[in-house]
Parts: sequence; C-alpha cells; structure tokens
Amino acid sequence: MARWRPAALLVVALAAVLSAAWRADALSVTVTDTECIHEFVPYEGDTVSGNFVVVDHDIFWSSDHPGIDLTVTSPGGNTVYTLKGKSGEKFEFKAPRGGMYKFCFHNPYGAPETVSFYIHVGHIPNEHNLAKDEHLDPINVKIAELKEALESVTAEQKYLKAREARHRHTNESTRKRVMFYTMAEYLAFMAASALQVLYIRRLFSKNVGYNRV
Amino acid sequence: MAGALALAVLLAVASLHAEAVWLDVPQSGTKCVSEEIQSNVVVLTDYSIMYESHPYSHPTIAVKVTSPYGNTLHHSENSTVGQFAFTTAEAGNYVACFWVDSAEKGSGVSVNLDWKIGIATKDWDAIAKKEKIEGVELELRKLEVAVQAIHQNLIYLKERQVVYSTSL
Repeated sequence: MARWRPAALLVVALAAVLSAAWRADALSVTVTDTECIHEFVPYEGDTVSGNFVVVDHDIFWSSDHPGIDLTVTSPGGNTVYTLKGKSGEKFEFKAPRGGMYKFCFHNPYGAPETVSFYIHVGHIPNEHNLAKDEHLDPINVKIAELKEALESVTAEQKYLKAREARHRHTNESTRKRVMFYTMAEYLAFMAASALQVLYIRRLFSKNVGYNRV
Repeated sequence: MAGALALAVLLAVASLHAEAVWLDVPQSGTKCVSEEIQSNVVVLTDYSIMYESHPYSHPTIAVKVTSPYGNTLHHSENSTVGQFAFTTAEAGNYVACFWVDSAEKGSGVSVNLDWKIGIATKDWDAIAKKEKIEGVELELRKLEVAVQAIHQNLIYLKERQVVYSTSL
C-alpha cells in the first residue's frame, strides 16, 4: 500500500519536469553596453538552445558596425559559448553542469540597440538523470523527444519572426529613403526647370535696352 | 522511501525554477523588456525579487506594462512579488519596465521574470481534472496544442509575407 506513493510522486515530478519545457519567451532588451540574462539549467547535460536577432536596423547603416557579441557563462564562471560580431544567430550547446547560466550581450558600439532573444532548456529523461522506475518506459522518452522536436520548430518560427520584423524595419526605412530622395530629386528638377524658364525669359525681356543707332 | 520522496520534491522544485529568466535591474534607472505580440493573445507573467543577493536589505521594485498605443496595462509600486495578466487588444510591441523604488537600493536587484504567452499560459492541471485525462493522453494533448500553435504561427508568417509582397 505504501509502495506506490513515492512512485506516484515521481510520476508527478516527471510530468512537472516534462512540462517545464513548454516555456516560450522571445523577449527583447535594449543593449547599450552589456546586458545579461540569467537562465536556470536544472540538469547536467541538458541541451540549451536559442537565438537572438538585432531588431534595430539603423545602426548598421551609418557605420561599419561590428555587431553584437554573445557570451554564455556557466555557474562556475567558465565561458561555455561565444559569438562575435553577429546581427542575429542561433546557438546550441550542452550544459556542462546544472545551475544558473548567464547570457551576456555586449554592444561594442555606443548606440543602444534592441536585441530579441529566445532561450530554451530542453531535457529528455533517461536512466542517467532520473531514478529508475517502472514508469520510465519508452513511451515517455519518445514523447519527450517529440516535444523537443516541436520545441525546435517553435524556436525556428520565433527566429524567423524576429528576422521578418527586422527585415520589415529595414525595408520600411529603405522605402522612406527612396521616397525622400525621389521627392528631393523632383524638387531639384522643378527648380532647375523654373530657373531655366526665368533665365530665357530674362534674355528676351523688353526691359533690357539695346542701343539703337 | 524517504529518499525517493525527497528526490521527487527536489525534481518538482527544480522544474519550477526552469520557467523563468532573471533580469538585473540597476539601482538607478529602468530595465525594460518587450515583445511583439499579435492581437487576442493571452499574456500571463509572474515576477519576484531574488532575496538571495540581498540578505540584509529588502528593496522593492515598481513595475509598469504598456501597450503599443501607450495604454498602461499594469502598474504597481513597492512590490517584491507580483503577477499581471492581460489579453492583447492590438498587435504590436508590449513593454514591461522595472525599476527600484525603495530607499535602500543596495547594488541593484535581481528580478525573476516568468513571461508566458499563448499556449504557455494554459493551466494543464485544471484541464486534466476537468476532462479526466492523465498520463500519456495528457502529454499527447499538450503536443496537439503545440502543433496547432505552430500551425497558427505559420499562417501568421504567410499572411505577413502576402502583405509584404502586395505593398512592394
């Protein structure tokens, strides 16, 4: 009678661990110099994946911007992942240990930029992580693997959505520039035409006196 | 049996911690996070101050959430723990800002932010009780909802592409 209670609690904990994977946040932060986001990884060997996209487009027009640097630091202080000079990238690595991981975005350029980031910690139960139990059967493992596959599709969609937003911003900016330059060109053309008309009329004006002999 | 019980509780507690990100709010100034959200999407967010980094002082924070049209959806002051929920009326960029508003600021505050959108806000415990499903069936139901969300996202991206090519 008392033997099934720990097993039931293990099942509840297993369901809780599995349900922890269904967290999706594609938040954005403004990076002026360095901004850090912390994420908790419960188990050693979990796969940490995600992506980030610089949503602002103006900064890459005015100068040769080196891009955003991403540094991932483990709970022990070691650097486990590094990306240099990117305007958007996906990343994935296996956590060497459990604990609080730090994701730092560094902006070498001084102007603030908006970075959209998505971080996911995926966990598939196996006999090395969980206590062996009769409920840890292949169906649960396959369900967890299917969840991770769906999660990767969701992450890809968030990445595409962020890149689409950035692309839209860029195209809107380009359209505004084209409109501005076109209007300026029209104004310059009309000004030149008006000046030509005035000049020719002045050449044939009656006000200019000629010496008649 | 006690060991298994402790292990189960530990796993349950660990899974709760895996549902949030931590932000460092400076002692002066504001820290904001934002996200582009479509209309008619449920947003549910919990936030709390991590007291581990402040064993002797007890700072409080103020929170303000604004919609793309400038409406204030949530505003609270002198809080250490809170929650806000809303359904987006318009599509756009929703911003949540945090700043320290207590006298004792210390060296900045670490805020635990659990920001859930759409299917992540579903209360599966209530659904399981209501429909009397459990185990593999419940997990498969979750997968079904996730696939439907992916499908809706694809339709949304496709519509954006259509609007895009039309305007060009």
